[in-house]
Amino acid sequence: MTGYRPSYLNVFLTFARNSLVRDMSFRANFILQCISTISWTVMNIGFYLIVFQYTDSIGKETGWGRNEFFVFLATTWIINSLVQTFFMPNAQQFSELIRSGNLDFALLKPIDTQFVISFPRVDWAALSNLFVGFTLLCYSLYQLTTKAENPLIIDWRSILMYPFYIGCGTVIMYSVMITLAATSVWLGRNQTLYNFWFYITNFSRYPMEIYKVGWGMALWVFFTFIIPVLLVVNIPARIMARPLNTMNSQMWQLAGFAILATVACLMISRRIFVRALKSYRSASS
Amino acid sequence: MPMALIELHNLQKTYRVYQKKEGLRASVKGLFKRTYKDVHAVKGIDLQVDQGEFVAFLGPNGAGKTTTLKLLSGVIHPTAGTASVMGHTPWQRENDYRRRFALVMGQKNQLWWDLPAQESFRLHQQIYGIETQQFNNTLDELTDLLGLRELLSQPVRELSLGERMKMELTAALLHRPEVLFLDEPTIGLDVIAQHNIQQFLKYYQQKRGITILLTSHYMKDVAALCKRVVIIADGRIQYDGSLSGIIDETTNRKLVTLQFADPITLQLLKSLERFGTIVQDEAPRVTLEVTRDDVPAMLTAILDAHDIDDLIVEEPPLEQVIADVFTRVTKSSLDARAENGDC
Repeated sequence: MTGYRPSYLNVFLTFARNSLVRDMSFRANFILQCISTISWTVMNIGFYLIVFQYTDSIGKETGWGRNEFFVFLATTWIINSLVQTFFMPNAQQFSELIRSGNLDFALLKPIDTQFVISFPRVDWAALSNLFVGFTLLCYSLYQLTTKAENPLIIDWRSILMYPFYIGCGTVIMYSVMITLAATSVWLGRNQTLYNFWFYITNFSRYPMEIYKVGWGMALWVFFTFIIPVLLVVNIPARIMARPLNTMNSQMWQLAGFAILATVACLMISRRIFVRALKSYRSASS
Repeated sequence: MPMALIELHNLQKTYRVYQKKEGLRASVKGLFKRTYKDVHAVKGIDLQVDQGEFVAFLGPNGAGKTTTLKLLSGVIHPTAGTASVMGHTPWQRENDYRRRFALVMGQKNQLWWDLPAQESFRLHQQIYGIETQQFNNTLDELTDLLGLRELLSQPVRELSLGERMKMELTAALLHRPEVLFLDEPTIGLDVIAQHNIQQFLKYYQQKRGITILLTSHYMKDVAALCKRVVIIADGRIQYDGSLSGIIDETTNRKLVTLQFADPITLQLLKSLERFGTIVQDEAPRVTLEVTRDDVPAMLTAILDAHDIDDLIVEEPPLEQVIADVFTRVTKSSLDARAENGDC
């Protein structure tokens, strides 16, 4: 048995399956969760429909018209739902495991600890948002490609790069989240996770142009280069919606930087995670 | 001589604990300036355990038993010292090591609360990479031994404490660990469940020849299972040897129970007190605690003077002996600290 490596895919599938069995055993709760998630999303779409009754675009000459922005919004929901389905419950649980000392069991398993912490729970109800996001995406793209004047042409590069950058965005969000949860080792308790998530997504859910005015520039720099959450939605949404019908060179540079940022985030969060495990004290039984 | 399976040298663990003072004012003060205290949970343990041994760790709460087990399973890092278990340093958390041992904690559970235990077992199969054939065989054997067959498909939250503990044990043994650490596996269980788990552990340990380290507060567990006992108190090993040896080494007292034919008078009781302390007086029986060396003289004197129907000489109960050891150790360490001005 020495040297045996578990199949991470199989372990993950078992996690996912167990989570589904668990969710299904609380059927009413599951359905209510789906309904509340979808209604929240639909209300948001309604809100932006109202906004677009007063204006034609988000920001002057940015190209973020209603349908372009709805592609952006759809991207937000897709990434959000991925993070909430796969990582949010685990990051919260991680924090709790540290506080209660139940992290012990994760440390005993002959498998990468970060893996076994990051994936055990899948919140299947949160995945309902993915379908809403995807529907909205398809609808908005249909509108954009069929409009009379200057229709959007989707080439194969967009179709390949969009899911790739969705992946990058999800990884950045995951890194931020797991780092935050890992700090519970030193802080004893860290309940800012939800709040922080809310702040971050609030910043990341608008086109980055809106920050590039006056003191907003500081926010733009901070959330692009320090905690790169602005890249999360902006890069894939822009690649898909092409708000000004082109991607200028600065955007391509940012897109390149996004890959770098993803790798850096993942590596830094990994380091912090490993460091945290070393300091783990295991609350007494 | 081959190296012992488990070897500890001068193992130490110190926690830095935030001293929270009482009251709101002190709490606010604590926001700015914190005072910490070093708690020496384990103060230097040397221990060797050979393969196939079943060793009990005894000690009062906070003695360092659980901390030692956590160090051995690599959950926490030591402050100083070395440990080797099957040639591995536990806190390096190598997968090769983690596949070869298991830790069961009576106070914590690792099974998915809302799912049948069966689902958690499958997950273990995946994580440990156990072949299906072997997994099924092991699971069959364990469920038969522990009488769990009917309960496998019931959500864990609906099991009784005893049933849950048996499930935890099963989960821990699925990958056939060579070393097993048990931290109070029978805590809170009724007598029957305790007995079942003891019987199971005894059988399983002998059959598989695995090495087990157990902590428990129940002397019955220890007496039923372990030939070797390690008493830990105040972060150090106070005794390491056989169970019966504790009594020989740590106490020189015997309990003598006398059943008198004549009625027991106050005068009689008085006359008995010069031999030792009366611990029980339920006419017609009187039980005395007597220094071992004085027993023959005492018996001669009493048998000469009174009519005795029955006579029992026995060792004091184990619980009491160990409680005495604990108290002595705690007291002496408090004295030592007071001398050093630690308190």
